[in-house]
Amino acid sequence: MARNDADAALQPWLQLVSYAVLAVGAVFMALKAGALPASRWEPMGAGTFPQLIFSSMAVLCVAAIALELLRRGFPRTRPGVAWRRLMALKPVLVNLGLFIAYMIAMPFAGFIAATFCYLLAAQLYLAPRRPLTLLVVVGVALLFSIGPYYLFADVFSIYLPRARW
Amino acid sequence: MTDAFLVALGGVTEPYTLALMALATFAGIIAAAIPGFTITMAIVLTLPLTFAMPPMQGIAVMLSVYVGGLSGGLFSAALLGIPGTPSAVATTFDAFPMARNGQPGRALSLGLFASFVGSLISIVILIVAAPPLALLAVKLGPWEYFALIVFALTIIASLVGDSILRGLIAGLLGIGIATIGPDPLMARERFTFGYELLTAGIPFLVVLIGMYAMSQLLSELEPSSANQDGSRALVSGDMRPHLWSVMIGTLKKPFNILRSSLLGVFIGAVPGAGSSISNLVAYDQAKRASSHPETFGKGEAEGVVASEAGNSSTVGGSLIPLISLGIPGSPADAVLMAAIMVHGISVGPRLILDHPDLVYSMFIAMAVASVFMLVIGVVMMRAFMRLLNVPKYIVVPVVLACCAIGTYTLNNRVSDLYLLAAIGAFGYLLKKLDYPLAPLVLGVVLGPIAETNLRRAFQTSTDWTLFFTRPISALLLTLAVVSVAYSVYSYLRQRRLMAERAQAAQNRAFQDGASQE
Repeated sequence: MARNDADAALQPWLQLVSYAVLAVGAVFMALKAGALPASRWEPMGAGTFPQLIFSSMAVLCVAAIALELLRRGFPRTRPGVAWRRLMALKPVLVNLGLFIAYMIAMPFAGFIAATFCYLLAAQLYLAPRRPLTLLVVVGVALLFSIGPYYLFADVFSIYLPRARW
Repeated sequence: MTDAFLVALGGVTEPYTLALMALATFAGIIAAAIPGFTITMAIVLTLPLTFAMPPMQGIAVMLSVYVGGLSGGLFSAALLGIPGTPSAVATTFDAFPMARNGQPGRALSLGLFASFVGSLISIVILIVAAPPLALLAVKLGPWEYFALIVFALTIIASLVGDSILRGLIAGLLGIGIATIGPDPLMARERFTFGYELLTAGIPFLVVLIGMYAMSQLLSELEPSSANQDGSRALVSGDMRPHLWSVMIGTLKKPFNILRSSLLGVFIGAVPGAGSSISNLVAYDQAKRASSHPETFGKGEAEGVVASEAGNSSTVGGSLIPLISLGIPGSPADAVLMAAIMVHGISVGPRLILDHPDLVYSMFIAMAVASVFMLVIGVVMMRAFMRLLNVPKYIVVPVVLACCAIGTYTLNNRVSDLYLLAAIGAFGYLLKKLDYPLAPLVLGVVLGPIAETNLRRAFQTSTDWTLFFTRPISALLLTLAVVSVAYSVYSYLRQRRLMAERAQAAQNRAFQDGASQE
């Protein structure tokens, strides 16, 4: 029962944290917006609208925190629960990591090499280990790395990043 | 007027354009049929391919993907029992049982024909409704426009997701993201913190691709959704379409298809409420109106017709605010708006006055795409069955790579790729925390329009009471307050009902326990 409660409390807890982080961020941005110089040509300067938006956001976040605490009290969870749930998301996190690496590598390695490596790695991580699957994976990686490059270059005259070596 | 229509007709019916549209409709059907690949994603990924095309051709191709996509969800719904897109949830209720009962061909034909009729009805309503609304909208001042956007955002926030507060926070966050970079009137730099990456602002298509496509694709890799693969059960049976008998049978009961289509158009025209809602509402209404509601959920033809006519007819409805007011009601419409803007055409009430040929070409393209959708769907029924089984380990990485291509080709800027990775990760985090992403994305689109109109209003007059004393502006702001108040009220009522039910169940359990003792 206690384990279920800690499980169920994780999301409300994370939501509370997110409201707090967004509220702090919104207050910071509202202050930054207030520091933008006023315009000589119009009553509303460049900072007024963002200030309005970020202030409203901060108020809503505080309201969300207050409502959540009034309604359900402070959700109690354990770091172990958060860790277990995070580990359950391993395929997502690995793929996200691979994608971020792909985005960072593309300007240097070029579209073809970066895409080929990314598709190969991501598919190999997700696909069942079978010889036929390996063939499919390599075929797909080749097709979708070389294909779009030449399609965009020759048909649309748009050049995807080239390798810098 | 006639000239513009003829120019549009000539442009759309050019053989090369028709061939591209047929291909796009096919691609739209396939994309929406693959579970985890949404219509918005398909339209986003088509956008870079249309850069090199003339505006009319590009828009026609994107609309074909849209129309094809709205019926594509039917294939996975009927053959796998999994809605390919969120807009095909209700389709699974009857199309899948019908296919399992040995009539997959009939289930698909019913859905395709209903989608076709639904699209056509929605196009007729769009043609009738959009021009007069645009003529009215041209007369609106910045006060009314600002109020209209406030209203649209509150509706979107209250319709999407479980919590209106999180919806509103997401909407404001979207508007906040749009304030980064040069301000829309004087181009003064804001919130760039010295990073060159941010000086041009954050392009809304990058936000859209990151928030919508990336976060959705990453969610597909979560263990619970990955397990669905194992439960896939392909149906077998009579794959012949029986189109003629299906058409006669459907048209003999015109009220069902007409009611579902009108509901779809209406729901599509309301910002934030898209095909996923109309699909369910149309199905529910058909069941209520039926003399034999007990057959629904067991392979009832009327259920298939209602759900598919309901979702496909939203396309015409959702284009009404886009064409007449320049306000996209859904992320998919926002991409269409971006596609028009990429070609240097400003979207707003003047679109129909300044570029009537483009607007007419949109109407014609949708009608032509509907015909393609029906023909391609019927002819290639068997082929689609095989294509549905593309495994996730191929779909997810390939579509993620396509997202990167789409992002880079928007501005040929490497920094957009870094933004994409950051926004995608942030979008996934928000999704996991149950923040609705549609208000955020539409906030990014509508934010600059709201700011421009608010500042223009104050440039014209510093009297802020004008927002409340001009009748249309006051009406729209009142509607915004009412929409928020209503969703708070319905949330509280729902909570009270749930508490009462839980209390009743507890009492019953207590009484049962006492009687046993």
